[in-house]
Amino acid sequence: MSKLNATDIQGFVLRGYNLPLARYIFLHFKDPERARKLIRRLLHVITTGQRWDQGNKPPSTVNIAFTHAGLVGLDLPIATILTFPVEFQQGMKARAGILGDTGASGPEHWDPIWRDDRVHAWLGVNAQTPAALEAACADLQKLLDETEGAVIVGSQDAAAIVLDGQPTTKEHFGFTDGFGNPDYLGVERKTQPGQGKLTPDGKWVPLATGELLLGYADEAGELPVAPVPHLLASNGTFMVYRKLHQNVATFRQYLNEWGSAYPGGREKLASKFIGRWRDGTPVELSPDQPAPFITQDPSRSTNFTYGNDLDGTRCPLGAHVRRVHPRDAFGFNGRLVNRRRITRRGLPYGAYAPEGEPVLDSEDRGTIFMALNANISRQFEFVQQQWINYGNDAHLGNERDPLMGNHGGKGKFVVQGDTTPTNPPFICSHLPNFVELRGGEYFFLPSITALGMIALGVVDPR
Amino acid sequence: MANLNGAVYGLTILSPIIDDKTAVPSHDLQIREYLASLPTGEDSPFAIAPGTHLARLVVMDDVIYVGMPACEEHLKSKYLVFESNLDGSLESYLVGLAQSVPQHLDAIWSHCVGYPGSTPIPAFIQYMKACQLETTFFFAAVNDKSVTQTLRALQTQRAVADFIADHQGMKPEQLQIEFARFVELLKSEPAPRPGATTIARTMTTGGHNE
Repeated sequence: MSKLNATDIQGFVLRGYNLPLARYIFLHFKDPERARKLIRRLLHVITTGQRWDQGNKPPSTVNIAFTHAGLVGLDLPIATILTFPVEFQQGMKARAGILGDTGASGPEHWDPIWRDDRVHAWLGVNAQTPAALEAACADLQKLLDETEGAVIVGSQDAAAIVLDGQPTTKEHFGFTDGFGNPDYLGVERKTQPGQGKLTPDGKWVPLATGELLLGYADEAGELPVAPVPHLLASNGTFMVYRKLHQNVATFRQYLNEWGSAYPGGREKLASKFIGRWRDGTPVELSPDQPAPFITQDPSRSTNFTYGNDLDGTRCPLGAHVRRVHPRDAFGFNGRLVNRRRITRRGLPYGAYAPEGEPVLDSEDRGTIFMALNANISRQFEFVQQQWINYGNDAHLGNERDPLMGNHGGKGKFVVQGDTTPTNPPFICSHLPNFVELRGGEYFFLPSITALGMIALGVVDPR
Repeated sequence: MANLNGAVYGLTILSPIIDDKTAVPSHDLQIREYLASLPTGEDSPFAIAPGTHLARLVVMDDVIYVGMPACEEHLKSKYLVFESNLDGSLESYLVGLAQSVPQHLDAIWSHCVGYPGSTPIPAFIQYMKACQLETTFFFAAVNDKSVTQTLRALQTQRAVADFIADHQGMKPEQLQIEFARFVELLKSEPAPRPGATTIARTMTTGGHNE
């Protein structure tokens, strides 16, 4: 596997920018020709995966992705339109039943923008400062005005939570987030053990490129399902966008109530929910207290397996991180999980409510979750359906992910334990929904070449 | 033995379907229609008859020609394929089927060549065995437990979890009394019926996600 052509791949795919501010702008195309003109102009603005020299990080970045309706709105040939995977053609709303997006997370409760099917494209702007963000957005607005290529039907601001004047990687429940995206063959980035796939001798190596990018062999040695022509798909990927509302008041109240009954205490119970302590220390490596020396050591912070903890007495079988990235927990050297990995992007939105201050569920705060994967159905949808909203693979019957599951007040979470007085078995019941979906969509994130083809109207499926 | 995976028996039966040009609709279509109308859940014949973990009935028309460079081949007949993961011996399982759901067996297999009917039972068993193929390689995802043991274990797991959730933190003496009471109650409860839905799943399942 040689190095990928980073200049042809959108930067958002190859790396987390680690920029503290973002605005996600949602476009609606009215006229295909004018829309293509807009994309032609945007081509020079889109941030690619080309590496930045040390200290040369740009003040802002721009990336673009399309919904299926958006590609129709750009007048792509029908023979191309029909070759996209079914789940992408259907869109996330139509997949609600499969994903468990029901009840409070059901489409009938989503923000209007995700209910009325008008979103054609996503423009993701990341920036270092508010001024840089506004400047980038003003430039984009100017392009929209000049080309009349699209109207903005909505936008979403997101930002890293600032504590003591510094942007952090915390999310609203108070946990450090964003550990351990997978490594892929050919993708250059700073790597650390625990981020790819396991080999039989216990080493971590990159996943096949085709788990992230279209046009390359995946873990099964096959090309991911992709639209024709090959050139339109190659170096592109699919993106899942989800606005996840966080019921912070409910979360804290539940922890207070059940944490006072749990002999290990509130913080330990919180760590059992996630599989990491609030500072990110893996519970598997340090089950009794947070250990900053582990989180700050890249050779250790994501480097662990569950093979010696099959009963879940350190990290519960149903803990969030163990569910969504089971590593070796299912045996077979982790091979049952290598085709279910996703790359995550995203930032929190809404004001942070410090611990101990009054907080309401109704306040608008949560996480903009974006997943990148070559096959939405096999990767993101499988994780969401089988590992978050079901428990069979983890030998947990009908139980759901304690943090992310759609419990509806009836959820149960078993904390496995041993004979240590502070680590007894414990069962949390009547779990409410800590996280609720407010809407989202499936997007196609094309390569620079494909963007050019779309802009010039030369997509030829023959 | 290739038909066994642990204690679970993997049964494969191929029964040739009667090829009668004068039958309207044809026999394979009649089987398909009957299979499509069979109840699932508690009223499934495989829930009523004892010992089935998982069963599948399929009409196999022919091998599918997938185009060059494969060579074009055809089966000599259409077949009814019956696959089942079952408890106990094959004979006792077939006896159970013939005694519990003879009307279903007859409605399905009467469209197959040489089917003698579900009675007399020895002839039925002989027929089924004559149609049997060795299963060779199969995987029974049942942890080597019988259907009844599995249903009982799931019932116990749910009940114990609920008990713990309701009683954790209680004083030991009181807990012991409550637990003894709980164990008696659980023992007296009948095992869940095969095919019964214990907890409704709100999620749409199926497709190639599972």
